[in-house]
Amino acid sequence: MKLGIALGIVVCFSLAAADTNEMVPPAGPGVFTSKQVGTGAFKLVVAGHTFTSRGDIEKYLAYRAARLTIEQEAEWFTFKEDREKGDSAEPVPVRDPEGQRYSFRMKYFRPVWRYKVNESAAWTRWSPFSGAAFISADPKTITGFEVSAEIVVHKGPMDDADPLAFEAHALSDLLVNQVSPPK
Amino acid sequence: MFNCTLKVCSVAVMAAAGAHTAAAAHWVRGYVVAFYEPAFRYGGRADYSRGTEVEPGVDCPHGSAIHFAVPAQVAKSLSLVHWRTKEEVEAIANPPADGVVRDPAGVYFHTWRAASAYRGYNREIETYINPFAAEDPGQPEVTSRIGEGFNLDGKIKPEDFVSPDGEKGIDNQLYRAWGCDAPWRGNNGNGTLVLRSNDKMLEGLYTIVIRVSGSKDPMNDDDATLEIGYSPDQIMKDARGNVGSDYSYRILHSDQYTRLKARVKDGVVETEQADIHMPQIAWFYNQLRDAFFRDGKIRVSVNSDGTAVGLVGGYRDWRDLYAQNVYAQSGGVQGVREHEDHVALYYALRRHADGMFNAKTGRYGGISSAYRMKLTPAFVVDPDKAMAIPVRESEARGKESYDATMAAMIKAAETLVPQEVPPASRELAATDGIEIGRGGVPIRGKGRLRPGDDNAKATPAAPKP
Repeated sequence: MKLGIALGIVVCFSLAAADTNEMVPPAGPGVFTSKQVGTGAFKLVVAGHTFTSRGDIEKYLAYRAARLTIEQEAEWFTFKEDREKGDSAEPVPVRDPEGQRYSFRMKYFRPVWRYKVNESAAWTRWSPFSGAAFISADPKTITGFEVSAEIVVHKGPMDDADPLAFEAHALSDLLVNQVSPPK
Repeated sequence: MFNCTLKVCSVAVMAAAGAHTAAAAHWVRGYVVAFYEPAFRYGGRADYSRGTEVEPGVDCPHGSAIHFAVPAQVAKSLSLVHWRTKEEVEAIANPPADGVVRDPAGVYFHTWRAASAYRGYNREIETYINPFAAEDPGQPEVTSRIGEGFNLDGKIKPEDFVSPDGEKGIDNQLYRAWGCDAPWRGNNGNGTLVLRSNDKMLEGLYTIVIRVSGSKDPMNDDDATLEIGYSPDQIMKDARGNVGSDYSYRILHSDQYTRLKARVKDGVVETEQADIHMPQIAWFYNQLRDAFFRDGKIRVSVNSDGTAVGLVGGYRDWRDLYAQNVYAQSGGVQGVREHEDHVALYYALRRHADGMFNAKTGRYGGISSAYRMKLTPAFVVDPDKAMAIPVRESEARGKESYDATMAAMIKAAETLVPQEVPPASRELAATDGIEIGRGGVPIRGKGRLRPGDDNAKATPAAPKP
């Protein structure tokens, strides 16, 4: 049972604060890249060749976004949606200052994908805002993929009315036991 | 409370009497806390409702939280649990009346409390011990700029409140985070848990006393002392059921006692800023423990009739606050009964934490807070002999449960490794003969489940989709 294994691990750990770097396996070369594209803005890409599931890979990207935010000594980040012309099937989430507040809303972490099938050299783009079903190809035929997100890191109290805001520590805590880098 | 020595009582009486006449004599004023609640500032209209919203107001634009109050809200929360199907979510949110018990309210209660206890990223993880492992269901928060409390950090920041009398920089992020939580929000102290905890205090669960003394003028004294702490003596009521004036109470120099330097200006007592130990709000015996305000302050303002109002504030450890609100019974019982979601409250606490910075983790471990007190005049005396806070042996099991459950939660939060429910925990206890199995399945049974029990073999009482 997973929980039993987890409890065994606990015995080996002291009660010191969790070292999240040791809890997630290291990524292979080129699996995760980040590039600063502006003041506090970063473009993050997770790449791999073995597709597992959309959820697993997107969670890993979200986890890396949270960890990068913490490494920048910031507290939270905003996710910048990558919408191209025509990507309007999904409405842009709007802030609701009078509504409920959140530390994060995973449903709004919606990165854009591109992938190759059957060793093709051409990339196919898939946007979560296009309305198209997620990757129509047989997952076994996918030979390469990239999932990308642009984030802006912020310090200080979080704007928790912003649906695209994510508190880094809370997100990292949730995902640390769920993620591993793709291959 | 009536066994104080003649000498002590006499000194107190003389001092109290002298307070009104002598300007440069030793003076003492004592109070018993007659009402104790979070300093949340209610802004709603009790006569107004809008759909499922409960008393919208300037504090909470959509009113109080409605977690586990209506099926739609339950479905919304459970839709964040990825191992549940849409059909399951709908079935749990709208349980059939022939499920666990015939009473529809009972079906809702047990079905919802069971499902609420398992919302982690896999079905093995108990949520109230491991709240970090569930997605944030969201919590309405206070949008008003007016709030009570103290400027604890000496700064004026955008997220701070302005006090009702215009002081800026008020730090009370607990109000921001939890001020719309249903059981703590209400007009003039009528939130359900405010009423419940105060009823219990008045019935003898615990007593808090304050003693202020000085050697100058009780209206203006720059070298006064304020003591606050637990009293072993039950609050005395008058013939009308109100807290009686001028009874005597012992103050224990226990781990829930603090002595602070204070200044009195125009009759308003304000203490130095220091750590404060005093009883926290409780409605069960197992919650009785130190509130522990870090960098705290106390203010006491005397009314013309001799009563007074008090305000105590400081940074409280989020773990103490979370445990205080969840573990007296169980998270599911508390959440469904009071229409609050402790996962949402957990995230709100940590999001708004603003004190007790931990350089190692890079996170704040405490949140600024303030609590109101209504004070009735009393004679506060020392006990004949030093004594500790009395322990009720009959309640030892409840304390053990609370302590074990809280320890597991803290371990989970620190290691980020989901923890099992401790055997002693009330999270495993049956309510109305209904236990909760792994995956949030209500199970008919008696006694306690043990970690590792194969609940799949038990009789499932969950509604079928």
